[in-house]
Amino acid sequence: MAPYNLAAALGATGSYLVYLGIGFCFGFILESSGFGDSRKLAAQFYFRELRVLKVMFTAIVVAMLLVFWSSALGLLDYGDIMVKETWLWPGIVGGLVMGVGFILGGYCPGTSLVSVATLKVDGMFFLLGHVVGVLAFGETVGYINEFWNSSYMGRFILPDLLGLDTGVVAFLVVCLALAMFLGFGWVQKRIYGRGDPE
Amino acid sequence: MKARINPRVLGAGFLLAASGALALYGQPDLEQKWAYMAPEYASRLEYREVYIDPAELLHLINDDYIDLIIYDVRNERDWNMFHLVDSERIDLKDLPSQRKRLRGLSELSVVVVVSNDEILATRAWKRLLALAKPNVYILEGGINHWLNVYGVMGDEHESHGTASLARPDGTLRHPFKLALGARHAASRPDEHRVAHREYTEKVKLLKKVKKAGGCD
Repeated sequence: MAPYNLAAALGATGSYLVYLGIGFCFGFILESSGFGDSRKLAAQFYFRELRVLKVMFTAIVVAMLLVFWSSALGLLDYGDIMVKETWLWPGIVGGLVMGVGFILGGYCPGTSLVSVATLKVDGMFFLLGHVVGVLAFGETVGYINEFWNSSYMGRFILPDLLGLDTGVVAFLVVCLALAMFLGFGWVQKRIYGRGDPE
Repeated sequence: MKARINPRVLGAGFLLAASGALALYGQPDLEQKWAYMAPEYASRLEYREVYIDPAELLHLINDDYIDLIIYDVRNERDWNMFHLVDSERIDLKDLPSQRKRLRGLSELSVVVVVSNDEILATRAWKRLLALAKPNVYILEGGINHWLNVYGVMGDEHESHGTASLARPDGTLRHPFKLALGARHAASRPDEHRVAHREYTEKVKLLKKVKKAGGCD
């Protein structure tokens, strides 16, 4: 039953090759979807181009369905999948900070790496700022330690919040994603008189 | 003219169908999950790798470096009659409530399940493994065996002796005079005063304990 210990099964070199292959595919898809271009990334916030949003959410729902179908069929132990623990209020504040940074800078940390791969100067500066920000945070987090460790909820996922079966929540998330695609597409047509290119 | 299906609509339809089917199919409960895990873990039961001797449990109880949880899955009546100090009574059906706690255990944690014999404890072991894969073991022979080894004659009726382990039926086969719970001498015998008992160490910690004394 997955997840498997790749290093034990394939050895260190074998597992690194697998990671390399997955990283290559990931980077290839991100770049070809426009995740390395800050103009396309920022355009989604103005409903000008929704390709990034659609790729992102499609990836999320496909991964979600693969994970939970694998779990349902006994191929994967979902309990062994690392789920980032929840610190509610620090998470909300962090999300707001990141959202503002995303709109202002045109990148999130991951997409700035994609842009650096194609030698985009704005991406390089964003990444540099990101590294400095990480260092500055590390040096100052002690001052906000109490808030930083507040409202801890452990491994907390949507079925826990809604009190619904995981499969039902997955269905609702798919409906939400599709409704969002349709709704945002409608807004895009209303504002700009056109949808995304095919 | 032949109508073309929009690939976006096709993709959306596929996602809806796959998620709708998942909602109907559901996620495996603990029994089903154990069935999926059995090929990998059942050999531990078959070769009795997880059944620990009472002496090993007594050693764990007295080891301050180990975070020990003892789940007693017997009924309330037997629990009231006798139980180990610091053990926690829990019904099998309530084990899922321990998921969060078990997932948060440190690498120096050991969980031991006890029942009167091994029947209920083995079922609990399977469920705990399906629930959170803790470092979990079963008391060999259960409370009946524990009392055979550490029981005190004065606590029990005259009929006290050694309960037969040959035909386990899940009952407490030591007749107590009073329901004293954890106030029996056998609830936490002094490891240094009981007769020495040889056993094969089966408990493996997920992390090596660094024991230091004095000024270290």
